[in-house]
Amino acid sequence: MARAVVDPLTRIEGHLRVEVEVNDGVVTDAWVSGGLYRGMETILLDRRPSDAFYVSQRICGVCPVSHGHASTMSTEDALGITIPNNARIIRNLIEAAQYIHSHILWFYALAALDYVDPVKALEADIADTYALAQAAGTGVSDFGAVAQRLQTFVDGGQLSIFTNGWFGHPAYAQDMPAELHLIAVAHYLEALEMQAVAAEIIAIIGGKFPHFMTSVPGGTTFVPTEQKLDDILFRFMRLNDWVTNTMIPDTLAIAPFYAGALEYGGGHGNFLSWGMFNTESPEMTDRYMPGGVVMTGRGLTVEDPDPAQVVEFVEHAWYDSPTGLHPSEGETNGMFDEYNTDNRYSWNKAPRYDGESIEAGPLSRMLVSYLRGVQPVQEIVDGALAALGAAGRPEVLVSLLGRIAARNLETKVVADWSLEWCNELIEAVAGGDSSYFQPHSVDQGAGAGLWEAPRGALGHWIDIQSGKIARYQVVTPSTWNVSSRDAEGIRGPMEEALVGTPVIDVERPLEACRVARSFDP
Amino acid sequence: MAHEDHDAIYDLLAARGVSRRDFLAYCGSIAALLGLSEAYVPQIAAAVNRGARLKPAIWLNGGACTGCTEAIAQADSPDVATIVLEILSLDFIETLSMAQGEDALAAAEAVFEEPGYILIYEGSVMKGFDGNALRIGGITGLEELEHAAPNAAAIVAVGSCAVDGGFVMARPNPADATGVSMYLQEKGIDTPVVNLPTCPVNPEWVVAILVDVLLLGTLETGAILDKLDRHGRPKYIFGQTIHDNCPRRGHFENGNFVYEFGTEQEALGYCLYPVGCKGPQTYTNCPIVRWNRRASWCVEAGSPCIGCGSLDWVDVGAPFLNRHRDLPLPEVGNTQPNTIAGVVAGIAAAGLAVHAVGMKATGRTSGGAPYEEMKERDKKRMKKGGGE
Repeated sequence: MARAVVDPLTRIEGHLRVEVEVNDGVVTDAWVSGGLYRGMETILLDRRPSDAFYVSQRICGVCPVSHGHASTMSTEDALGITIPNNARIIRNLIEAAQYIHSHILWFYALAALDYVDPVKALEADIADTYALAQAAGTGVSDFGAVAQRLQTFVDGGQLSIFTNGWFGHPAYAQDMPAELHLIAVAHYLEALEMQAVAAEIIAIIGGKFPHFMTSVPGGTTFVPTEQKLDDILFRFMRLNDWVTNTMIPDTLAIAPFYAGALEYGGGHGNFLSWGMFNTESPEMTDRYMPGGVVMTGRGLTVEDPDPAQVVEFVEHAWYDSPTGLHPSEGETNGMFDEYNTDNRYSWNKAPRYDGESIEAGPLSRMLVSYLRGVQPVQEIVDGALAALGAAGRPEVLVSLLGRIAARNLETKVVADWSLEWCNELIEAVAGGDSSYFQPHSVDQGAGAGLWEAPRGALGHWIDIQSGKIARYQVVTPSTWNVSSRDAEGIRGPMEEALVGTPVIDVERPLEACRVARSFDP
Repeated sequence: MAHEDHDAIYDLLAARGVSRRDFLAYCGSIAALLGLSEAYVPQIAAAVNRGARLKPAIWLNGGACTGCTEAIAQADSPDVATIVLEILSLDFIETLSMAQGEDALAAAEAVFEEPGYILIYEGSVMKGFDGNALRIGGITGLEELEHAAPNAAAIVAVGSCAVDGGFVMARPNPADATGVSMYLQEKGIDTPVVNLPTCPVNPEWVVAILVDVLLLGTLETGAILDKLDRHGRPKYIFGQTIHDNCPRRGHFENGNFVYEFGTEQEALGYCLYPVGCKGPQTYTNCPIVRWNRRASWCVEAGSPCIGCGSLDWVDVGAPFLNRHRDLPLPEVGNTQPNTIAGVVAGIAAAGLAVHAVGMKATGRTSGGAPYEEMKERDKKRMKKGGGE
């Protein structure tokens, strides 16, 4: 038996420690520890609800748009505000841009280095690389120039962000051709450009990214001009082209070399989605990606989500506030004693849904949408399953590879919808709809904004008294996924997913890092 | 500079994988950012020649949301790949480093051993719970900073959190957050700190400051310190208010305002002052540099500035959508044009109709503009904010 610790787990948002127990080359227990406490919920007290729209975005610099919207929606829910239709479409567009941005950045800049070895790319034959790119149907870059840039960089002897990387780790697919490694390196560089293009859309609609400005309670401050609509549509078209012709083919080209990752990393098999991208209906279950709960232990079926089923435990986290509370009554009182995996070991609380430890994220959304019969989701998932030799077996998605595939496939679904929504907005504006903001007064009420960040289910709960915030609680996707153990000692979703992961080299547990990172924490 | 010198530089750059065209483009944009004329482009170019070795740098995340790392990924001249492959050897950055765990920390440790590196710090310094509000690699964030700071040539505090604690230190400051320079002062560590506020940091400013210290060598000569105001902010970035350079300024002068979001007045691009714009008290050059590769900026998207570049920005700026009748006088540097001080003082002192303040206090109409009659709408809405 050996304990392995990865601290910090790099290439994520925030500070995370991953500790695993390894027996005979397999993870048998795991603890993940969130390393940061800022006290956002306390900072928001006694401020105006609209201030929470701005400040609460600072919970996460990678998904601020979703936090902003969840905050604004909680206020709108509390005050009974219905936003104009144009504002609804504009919010969908800015979220779509953030999803595309976040997923591209995650796959190429954060996760890819767990599967692609840049040093191996140096062995690639350039002509063969072009041939392979064409055969895989993926984007062609100036592969020779990329190889030369990489060689020059390596020859310089200063490896910058690649310093001390686990080059040549035995867990890299040994049969993956050097040419595919080079393609991935080239697309890593392209991805840095494409994520920035997506962020430009957020800036056009929202003023800037990260931390946008426009989706205030009541609607949006952004009134599009013809020029702005054109700027937005053009960028979405460019992104759609890249996702379709580079990101998806890359995913399908690399996945077969890691088919073993279909066998582990699934975790509890419980999935929650509040639903994402609003239609004109106010119901979570009517969203483009409908809300739903899937407990695979009870079969591949989906139930409607019930926000009343959420409670948070703090037995193993550094809080001395009461445990087992619903977020609408939740408290956040930090305390610190020591890091002790037998007792308290994380700043992350342990949220539970209907008593269960439950996973949030693209896999949850895609599974719920698939089971609810959302057509573009069914089509792309069925296509990918066939390509992986698992036609008709969506249950294989409950795995490490499934979690990654779900995120990348979702990027394509959202990129397609984004073009639809651009046209919807253009038609609405051309048809004379000039309403963007619903004036309102702020007195009192309690409400919730239940929404989905790119990395999963997100809830903001607000209680407004005399125009000011009397209580504020947030349950982020990573609170769900990076959850500490609960009162019963049940592991959080990431901890559970780690159990059963094969680890070749205990000193360098790359496979465990892959599983942790697959949650995009 | 002679042509042959240019050629030598280009050869060197080519060897590093930077094309001549890309290089000139980014030298040009850097010159513009630094407020230098095109005549400085050769000097910037020549400076590159000095460093056959990339300057080692470390990026630490304190109590951060990672938004400033996200922001730097939005730079385009040079872009983030160029920065980390050909300008800096960024040997440790939690969000991008290939290495993990102890190996990642070891990469940082190797840099700490040789004085002279650049330390970039993102996020608040977390003092709460004896520093345990932030734990990294089994130690506290405070221990990490105290270990990394002394041997650094300079620290660049990116984003408002690193500058003074940012939103994290807003009342009641539950995690006892503070800024890098404040904390180092407490500990008696005298490494120079360059403060780049706003939330997140604008990547163009990071690039400008890196070029300033790396390529122009202003750190070695101490010249960088002359470019900072008393809060450690580069004057060329934080010397004027947003209001000074706002494209909507003309509407302010003319008394054309947006009183409610999403209205015809917004479609006409009127001034956002009545819905809470903090442009008059916020010292950044956002209207010029803009955001996300110049795609837009807050006011262009119809949003009032919330003053995220001000010190103590949340407690000073909130409620963000309310017009502040009594402006807390902002940190006025030494370089402020009189007109701006006039506006600030004017607003603070007067309960006048906004448009009248604009006309008179700017001093742009000598002897004072004839006051307009207060508009009916102004009378009704003087105390109202934007959304509430």
